[in-house]
Amino acid sequence: MGHYLPIVALAVLAVLFAGLSFLASRLLAPRRPTPQKSAPYESGIIPGKEPPRRFPVRFSLVAMIFIVFDIEVVFLYPWAMVHAELGLFGIVAIAIFSASVFESFLYLLSKGVLEWGPIQRVQRPHLVGAHRTAESTIRRVGLEGRDRPAEQRILVESGIASHAVEPAASAAGGH
Amino acid sequence: MGDPLYAGGIGLTVVLVTLLKVLVTFVLLLVATMFMVWFERKIVADMQHRIGPNRAGPWGLLQTLADGTKLFFKEDLLPDRADRIVFRLAPVLAVVPAFLAFAIVPIGGNFAEGGTVSMFGRETFLQLADPPVGVLFFLAMSGIGVYGVMLAGWSSGSKYPLLGGVRATAQIVSYEAALGLSLASVILVNGTLSTHQIVAEQAGAGFGGIIPNWNLVVTGVVPAIIFLIAGTAELNRPPFDLVEAEQELVGGFNTEYSSIRFALFFLAEFMNTVTMSALVVTLFLGGPSGPVWGPEPVRTWFFPIFWFLLKLVVFLFVFVWFRGTLPRLRYDQLMDLGWKALIPLALGWFLLLGAVRVARNEGWNLVVTFGAITVVVVVAVTLLNLSLRAAQRQRLADAEVNA
Repeated sequence: MGHYLPIVALAVLAVLFAGLSFLASRLLAPRRPTPQKSAPYESGIIPGKEPPRRFPVRFSLVAMIFIVFDIEVVFLYPWAMVHAELGLFGIVAIAIFSASVFESFLYLLSKGVLEWGPIQRVQRPHLVGAHRTAESTIRRVGLEGRDRPAEQRILVESGIASHAVEPAASAAGGH
Repeated sequence: MGDPLYAGGIGLTVVLVTLLKVLVTFVLLLVATMFMVWFERKIVADMQHRIGPNRAGPWGLLQTLADGTKLFFKEDLLPDRADRIVFRLAPVLAVVPAFLAFAIVPIGGNFAEGGTVSMFGRETFLQLADPPVGVLFFLAMSGIGVYGVMLAGWSSGSKYPLLGGVRATAQIVSYEAALGLSLASVILVNGTLSTHQIVAEQAGAGFGGIIPNWNLVVTGVVPAIIFLIAGTAELNRPPFDLVEAEQELVGGFNTEYSSIRFALFFLAEFMNTVTMSALVVTLFLGGPSGPVWGPEPVRTWFFPIFWFLLKLVVFLFVFVWFRGTLPRLRYDQLMDLGWKALIPLALGWFLLLGAVRVARNEGWNLVVTFGAITVVVVVAVTLLNLSLRAAQRQRLADAEVNA
């Protein structure tokens, strides 16, 4: 166990270092706590809500999958050490073991356990279509961001109403 | 096997040599950490066309010392809501493993001649400890380091540190699997868990006598890259610093910490960076091994330490370079990279390497072996793709039901 002697010594030294730092800080640092200082820090906003007690279950799932992989690593290291002696038997055994872990990993993946981001939806490009001509595009650009009631905009864009009847459009575009 | 210092029982000289080595390692680590903080600030400043620290000492070298001293004189706040014992314990849990992890790194010794140096008439390794399970010891220490981060976030009694702590735990745990799997390739090739043996295995001349026999080459580059990426994520360094994403989390798990307790977290973080770089050098770039010349003290002391430090600084620079160049990942990108890319790749590469080595040992037909391997790889990748698509479809269907 002689190999661990220096590690123990270093651990003692590290704990001493931390302890002495705390002691020095206690002796040197001022202590003037105020309610503002000891409140939870939220960049100046006064904390209104309690910190969350419940967490997305995904975090726990990640922890569980980690255990599966860690156990796999635990079994892979010994094989890595003695793979030469075990030969064919070893490689077949490790292949079967890895396949079974990989299979459960695939099951988890297909269940969406590791999907974190927002859903990636294929957006139908509603700006492209047969109804869209050069004329309609120009009108659209000219009117973008103008203040108009929504129903009117729909009427104009679908070509039911003429843009000439609209006061905002004629004022802006000068048609 | 093991350090020859402890071969003949433990006497007074042995204890004294050990204590000297412990002290030197301790001081070296603190100095290296100070240097790393200064180095990072200077390099990032250069990359951003600033000057960086330049007041304290020559080229601002003593800036870290000045900052550290300042923190001793700052008020040590204990938030009302905090769990008092755990809040105080967390910085210690972060800093002690950071010190210990470095113990297994060989920093010198001429590996062409056994890798030992002579100290007060006793032969010893120029590394603090060489336990037979050195690599596992490192993994264990990096595992304990997680507790510091997680408990700090939890015990603060505040929203953002809690979120930061939970994120950090999920992130570190995810990349620990990739780290362990890429390490398995090294163990497979070298057949040992002792860091000294791993370096000794890499010391000889490699392919063609020109390319060094480093694990970087022997394991086929992929594990080294995975190890570097996973290591960066383990350290919570940019681009994986979601733990302290200041736009989302104020300051991350250590928001409520001030004064010396904050300093200990800071110290641990940079010490871990130094250790991780040293470990990349040890595991993949042959550690202190390299060409040596000259008479006795120069050959066994100067050159190995010089090669080690040179390689170390390269990786320290790489870590700073990452920080200066790469934007931070989103949380889903982080998880996707870890679980869907690095872990399957690391596992696959390990099995591939193992299969090829066993095939060579047993003298199997190479064409058949590679054919079988190709079939397995194609099947695995197809299955992976199919399950990812199934997950996508499932989520879209769920979203439509909910909408």
